[in-house]
Amino acid sequence: MLTTTTITILLAAASLSLLSIVAACILGWANRVFYVHVDPKVVAINNALPGANCGGCGYVGCGEYAEAVANKKAPVTLCGPGGASCAAALAEIMGVEVDATYPYRAAIHCSATWKERLGRAEYHGEMTCAAANLVGGYQGCTYGCLGLGDCVRACNYDAIHMIDGLAKVDYSHCIGCRACENVCPRNIISMIPFKSDRMLVVACSNRDFGNDVRAVCKTGCIGCKRCAQKNDLIQMNGNLPVINYDLYQPDADYQPIMGNCSMESLFFIGKPTPKDLAAVADEEMPDRIEADFKTTVDDTEWRG
Amino acid sequence: METIINLIQIALLAALINNFVLHYFVGICPFLGVSRRVDMAVGMGCAVTFVISLAAFLSWTFTYYLLRPEAPLPAWIWKLVGGSADAKIDLSVLSYIMYIFVIASSVQFVEMYLRKFFPSLYKSFGVFLPLITTNCAILFACLEIMKQLQNPNELWGLHEALTLAVAGGIGFTIAITLMAGLREELDLCDVPKPFQGPGIALVIAGIMAMAFMGFTGMDQGVKNALSSLLH
Repeated sequence: MLTTTTITILLAAASLSLLSIVAACILGWANRVFYVHVDPKVVAINNALPGANCGGCGYVGCGEYAEAVANKKAPVTLCGPGGASCAAALAEIMGVEVDATYPYRAAIHCSATWKERLGRAEYHGEMTCAAANLVGGYQGCTYGCLGLGDCVRACNYDAIHMIDGLAKVDYSHCIGCRACENVCPRNIISMIPFKSDRMLVVACSNRDFGNDVRAVCKTGCIGCKRCAQKNDLIQMNGNLPVINYDLYQPDADYQPIMGNCSMESLFFIGKPTPKDLAAVADEEMPDRIEADFKTTVDDTEWRG
Repeated sequence: METIINLIQIALLAALINNFVLHYFVGICPFLGVSRRVDMAVGMGCAVTFVISLAAFLSWTFTYYLLRPEAPLPAWIWKLVGGSADAKIDLSVLSYIMYIFVIASSVQFVEMYLRKFFPSLYKSFGVFLPLITTNCAILFACLEIMKQLQNPNELWGLHEALTLAVAGGIGFTIAITLMAGLREELDLCDVPKPFQGPGIALVIAGIMAMAFMGFTGMDQGVKNALSSLLH
């Protein structure tokens, strides 16, 4: 005898199973009919890319860059975080030859800390470089670092820090994603190809004449042109020397050129040399606290 | 005429007064997650409006014919197997699982269709579709419609269910777009450290919810005005 309960259970089971069979058929059919062919190259390139989605290549994410490479609209060497190995992997997938590529890293073209540059008016506005740059009159040099840390906040890799009001790049963390370059309102950050561990850079962006520079900064380039003599590497652009990194030789010794600089606005960045490390070896460093991922159990003993 | 006034009242209630996000606090995850930029927020709002309308259509159909206490389909089967007239079959226990199942599979279908035939549209809002498939705002609209189909004396028709869904979706779009506008401005503000991120976003959402309380009673006022205009 069929009761209401039995028929309810039967009907519930029947309607749901019927519905799931129908839906499975429709979706299975749709999956076949609406199949979208994806280029296997795009998938392979996507797997070879680091997947950081940093946007350093100029595309929205790794997926879009992979598509552009597969369609031959972009060169295989654009990925900064992936570096040479990634470029080689992409070149193999695409079947193209690739020259030696160098990782691009951020270089800061300013060397003046709070002490070395002239401050003008007191500033109480938004503590961002973008705002301070709009207001003007905050500091004497209208070209140099403002020290309010827009680049620090833009960096997702903890690779840039404000030290005495000057941005310093930590090259063990920098991946060359260009986030800081894009955000700097004064355009003093540029990407340079790291052909060797240590690279020579012009650490000043001031285009004014020597006297005007000296009035606002103790370390700025005064445009004496001594570094540009007797070599092709450095050209003068107005009052400011510019290094042509295409001519930069990875194993050449550029120490003499640096020694020529009468100010302190031409120096090496990158990994510290053994000499530099030895110089600070006996200085006391704070203990670095490393995260311990072995356990989540807190076995601190509380006393008192 | 009465019907149209009634529909206007339902729409006003769903979009402004009982706004899904700011009154019932459903759909908070996309509201906070995708409200960083205005264009993304508008895309998300459109996707939610679309999915909510689709879900309302399906859930009304299933509830009306299958799941409500007086549904015709189970009654017909009951009569077919020779059951007595005074006993009734009630399948409303199935409503939740049925809604989730039907909405998920239909959204999946629409997503595949979009991907094949409208790649640009898929690129701009296809990514949101799987996100909101079983979003609480969608299920909330379905349950609201189910509630209106429980009482056999004041059954909602399909037009009323769809009005609720579309207006609810528009209300969601309004809320998330306003939120995104505020958060874009907020990027330039000096927010205290402990409030940064989700903290200040929730504070803003709370203040917006209070502001939306100001719409209370507007539906009655509009209804009275329209009625006096007609008579």
